[in-house]
Amino acid sequence: MKTDVLIIGGGPAGLNAAIETASRGIKTIIIEESYALGGQLKQQTQFFNNLPKQFDRQRGIHLMRTLIDRLSPLPITCLLKHKMIGVYKDGRIGIANDTETFPIDAKKVIVTTGAAEETDLFPGWTLPGVMTVGAAQILINRERVLPGKNALIVGLNSFSAEVAKQLKACGINILGVMDKTVSVNDKKLVEGLEDKKIRVMVNTVIERATGAGEVKKVTINNDGKKEDLDIDLICIGKGLAPILEPLEILDCEFGFQAKLGGLVPKYYSTLGTSNPSVYVAGNAAGITCLGGILLTAEIAALNALKALGVLNDNEVKVRSSFLWDELRSMESEESIETFIARVAHIKEFHEECELPLPASFHAILEGC
Amino acid sequence: MYIDHHPILENHGNDQISFFYDGTPLKARQGQTIAAALMMNNIRKFGISRKLRQSRGLFCASGRCCSCFVTVNGLEHVLSCTTLIEEGMEIKPNTGDPDVRGGIHEN
Repeated sequence: MKTDVLIIGGGPAGLNAAIETASRGIKTIIIEESYALGGQLKQQTQFFNNLPKQFDRQRGIHLMRTLIDRLSPLPITCLLKHKMIGVYKDGRIGIANDTETFPIDAKKVIVTTGAAEETDLFPGWTLPGVMTVGAAQILINRERVLPGKNALIVGLNSFSAEVAKQLKACGINILGVMDKTVSVNDKKLVEGLEDKKIRVMVNTVIERATGAGEVKKVTINNDGKKEDLDIDLICIGKGLAPILEPLEILDCEFGFQAKLGGLVPKYYSTLGTSNPSVYVAGNAAGITCLGGILLTAEIAALNALKALGVLNDNEVKVRSSFLWDELRSMESEESIETFIARVAHIKEFHEECELPLPASFHAILEGC
Repeated sequence: MYIDHHPILENHGNDQISFFYDGTPLKARQGQTIAAALMMNNIRKFGISRKLRQSRGLFCASGRCCSCFVTVNGLEHVLSCTTLIEEGMEIKPNTGDPDVRGGIHEN
């Protein structure tokens, strides 16, 4: 198989990048390991207020529809249930499904593999009934299955708080959302949970979870006080880390940026990586909000199109600077640290490569 | 347990399908993954880990953690969280060393 652009991952970033490339008539293939496009949007019933201008405020699942509807009339090949498993010596990408392995010869690759949830280690964390908050959300919203009756949520952040409320709305008894930090800075987060009669426990850790074959009991240490709870569900919400394996296989260099989720590929202001044919976008380029996911995808796609000679310098320059401005406002609204870390990450790589930052980027640097 | 009335989303179609788990006939809804179909039937333990012989079930539900492998129609090592259930499927828990399949190689 031959293509101009190969997009690895069919979540919001991959879909938005594909809309950009395919609408220019560029041959585009998306490979997606799941049975359907949409990535994590498939189960996100929460509203997203802070989205790029061309999107209305909407629920994640509706945004997924919007993206797929925009993409469907365009000439594009979607390979569902296909994974990237390696690179051939000549640079072609190795793809596999359940029955065969084959190469794809792509001029440009955009990696939009997203992020994976981090776990929390305590004795018993591998028992059935212990799962990530994302998994619990998938079960209630996509699969319509109750993951348990009595739940404990480990880790307090906006995502785990949102899922705690969704689980409760489905009839699950939430015994508490616990966090090991001594105090929570985000008062709104705590109030939002308490409004829904969900107990918030700070300075609390799990000592052990037990049960024969599945989790039945948990011992927590709540501010020095031990407590035994009868539960059948523990949801771990410890945040996200970028999924990097395809970038490792593609020989991309990495740097460390704690605020972007830890190890992230190095990239330029074009979202191009140290491998000249590879671009990265979305959570794989550093954990961000949904607006950031969509915008980085657009920036990467535009620059891939420029490298393919489809768009001219000036057009890309104008649109990029507009998109970067929008990215600054999106990411700053959610967490200014994310945007500052991203800009620092890019600046560092440009300096390392002795490649001057584009003039339009200087205005962004001054804004930080 | 199945959520008949979701607080936000419209109801799913009610198309039921039948499958077998370890020989027992069970029901699932069209469009569910194998993992969800099992959990709907209150099966949460999908197998035992190879080395430490510990119970395993759904953990990430995203095809990432490999905790939810099952055997599907004789094919071992299938991720139950990213594979849709189909009429008549025979699912078995993964309890030992898997017979990992090969592939057709070009090049």
